[in-house]
Amino acid sequence: MVNEPSNSKTMYRNLILLVLLWEVVGRLDLVAGGALPSLSEIIIRMWIDRHDYPLHIGSTLYASSAGFLIGNILGVCAGVLFVLYPMTLRLSRGFNIAIFSLPPIAIAPILVITLSGMAPRIVLATMGVYFITMTATVVGLSQADSRTSELIRAYGGNKLQILRLVQFRSAIPSILAGFRIAAPNAVLGAILAEFGGGGRWGLGTYLLGSLGRGEPDRLWGIGLMATLISGASYFLFVVISNRFLKGSTSITLNTAIPTDITKNEHVLKTFFITMGAIFLPISIWWALIFFSGLPSMIAKTPWGVVEYLFFSNMAEAAQGRLVAAIAETLPITFIGMTAGLLFAFLLAIFSSLYFQVIRAFMPIALITQTMPLVALTPLLVLILGRGNSLTLWVTISVTFFPAFVTLTQGILLVPSLAKDLPKAYGGSKWQELIIVTIPASLPYLFAATRLTVPRALLGVMIAEWLATGKGLGNLLNQSRGYLDYGMIWTVAAVSVLLSIIFYQLVVYTERKVLGKLGMKTAE
Amino acid sequence: MTLKLNRRGFLGSAVAGTAALSWPLSSTAATSFTMQAAWINDAEFAGYYVGIDKGYYSSEGLNLNYLSGGPDVIPESTIIAGRADLALTTPDTTIKAIAEQGAPFKIIGTQYQKNPIGIVSLKSNPINSPAELIGKTLAVPPVNVISVEAMLKINGIDRAAVNIVPYAYDPTPLIKGEIDASLDFTTNVPYSISQQGVEATSFLLYDFGYQVFNDTVVVTEETLKSKRNELVSWLRASRKGWEDNLRDPNIWPPKFADSWFKGTGRSIDNEVFFNNAQKSLIENDGGIFSMSEESIQANLDSLAKVGIKGSRDMFDTTLLEEI
Repeated sequence: MVNEPSNSKTMYRNLILLVLLWEVVGRLDLVAGGALPSLSEIIIRMWIDRHDYPLHIGSTLYASSAGFLIGNILGVCAGVLFVLYPMTLRLSRGFNIAIFSLPPIAIAPILVITLSGMAPRIVLATMGVYFITMTATVVGLSQADSRTSELIRAYGGNKLQILRLVQFRSAIPSILAGFRIAAPNAVLGAILAEFGGGGRWGLGTYLLGSLGRGEPDRLWGIGLMATLISGASYFLFVVISNRFLKGSTSITLNTAIPTDITKNEHVLKTFFITMGAIFLPISIWWALIFFSGLPSMIAKTPWGVVEYLFFSNMAEAAQGRLVAAIAETLPITFIGMTAGLLFAFLLAIFSSLYFQVIRAFMPIALITQTMPLVALTPLLVLILGRGNSLTLWVTISVTFFPAFVTLTQGILLVPSLAKDLPKAYGGSKWQELIIVTIPASLPYLFAATRLTVPRALLGVMIAEWLATGKGLGNLLNQSRGYLDYGMIWTVAAVSVLLSIIFYQLVVYTERKVLGKLGMKTAE
Repeated sequence: MTLKLNRRGFLGSAVAGTAALSWPLSSTAATSFTMQAAWINDAEFAGYYVGIDKGYYSSEGLNLNYLSGGPDVIPESTIIAGRADLALTTPDTTIKAIAEQGAPFKIIGTQYQKNPIGIVSLKSNPINSPAELIGKTLAVPPVNVISVEAMLKINGIDRAAVNIVPYAYDPTPLIKGEIDASLDFTTNVPYSISQQGVEATSFLLYDFGYQVFNDTVVVTEETLKSKRNELVSWLRASRKGWEDNLRDPNIWPPKFADSWFKGTGRSIDNEVFFNNAQKSLIENDGGIFSMSEESIQANLDSLAKVGIKGSRDMFDTTLLEEI
């Protein structure tokens, strides 16, 4: 993070090299027989299409900013509530993960039926934002230096004063990092809803109309426009966050050992909270269907799904298809999970060592976050085929970004005095990393894992839907076509359930590991 | 629960200021009538645009609200949810839903007598009949897989002999040779392929025994009872619009360049090609939208091949007689 002019130069040099490489590769049609156009070809095409863009951009900006705003307000408020009253966090866990891991391909048709106009787009954008900002808020607030809180408490300060004077200040960098990851998600959410929802304007609609032309330069132009929108917002928060970060990193390592709130809890209380966490999302599901007033053929309640799967005349066939699909999807999901996390981890480590190289890579990372995968599918199938390597690529691209930003944040927040120790003893950058930085950012590693794990299934399902034609993703898409509403809701529920199980496994491991090390979970 | 409800309430107030928000239209107003199209605005629906622009619906006393479609819009869902009075869709999904789930649908007309979907391949690697698909990779939108399976079965080809992969609306993998063929509207995609400097060839599933309609006009039984007059008016106005449009297929698409087709991402030349190509698939001696007894039977027979058990009473031809 040292702003030496030479480093800045290195970054620009790398960026320019990257663009030049892209230009040559694109112009000479070296990748996939020309399915990857060069940057200049894309820009020329955007210029030709310039009269098409304004209305589409306006529409996407409107939906994504509304979703960004609403999702962030909800996320921060929920985060504060969860930290003030930890019980609410445990109760809402099922609901939170459900929101985060709901496959857009399952929820979009349902939103389109229940809401109209801009509303489905705003809701999908909001859903992409809420969980990330909420998690960032909780992480930031709960990682505040407990010594400072103790001081306030010693002077008779209450919970709210600690929140205002200590926790909120130290949480700002983390919340801003949340906003950064959330911005591309809001744009992508809006575009996905536009793509499927049958409206007239929006970059997603424009993309759908353009897909049939077989012209990659147009598709990349649309993707680049989406990247510019979320990139602008991303860098705005980088600038703000760099300002705040300077004053908020602790100088020394906090050695106070946190108390485990669940340790002395009555078994019965734990049981009721767990039950609550399971039943909250189910009752919300039930309530939403009740209030939407939709006929039961389309809108299945939790009981409707159970009935479909076990008691209807189609039950046996439905079970068979579901089990076969899960068997196809699960193995690759585990591999994808590991790959996504590993990629994010290596990238974050690399970024702490060679900051400028990573800065040059950021625009590409952003493109992978905002470029709708449906526009990249031709390129991907041409390069990777329609097998596991494509599925892995898609899964990594869906999962790595939130994990990467969280990890980078964790690494940046390691107190500088702790890092100075190995330095003073003549240790290399690598030694410092292994002895201090990695262990100290362990809570963030777990937080990153929690962000990766529920989304891995989503990544695999997207690949199945777009390219491989297998597993849950394909089952979901086919069921939509056949008006098999029972199966649509079943797949959505099963995918959320699986994600929650994965998530809980991480939480369990995290408690064990961090508890042993005397660290606080960054939940 | 509070979170979610707050969000919905907040959403409502956040969006209420814009004209974009319109809750499900009430069906009480006698003149208000909503149709759900099957896809985004293109020449596939040109007849309705002509009807709207020339005032055919308003002179029938209908205030027509036209909803575009898209991949996430399941047309039948829109009419069950009461968001539209009528939807354009495909007979296989409708009949399957009636037969297996007891869905209350009736098919009251069809825009395409012959389904425009077909197998598209490149002239350099042509596939001219179902038999030539053996050992090849064919990209099919998941919703159409059942149609392809029916066509293969009718022609005595083993389903396992063809490698079927998902098709995601983009012909690039076909142009680059990653797949050998794709299932698409033959009225549309050969044009896009020719724009890339490659020539395409195609055959209709219809011509190889899969004789089903497309863009069938579907309503719920309840709408059929309560809005019969409006439905007949809609059919009459739409028929006029389509007759005007097909009289010379080159005339109307350019007129929509700044209205219906503005900013869709598609070119007007593409729409003109489409409009010409679909003429023979729509026109019919009995009048546009008509459904003859033989063609209904052909639909039922084709679908029966893949286990979709339809019957004559799922079609109602009496409204067509009243036009």
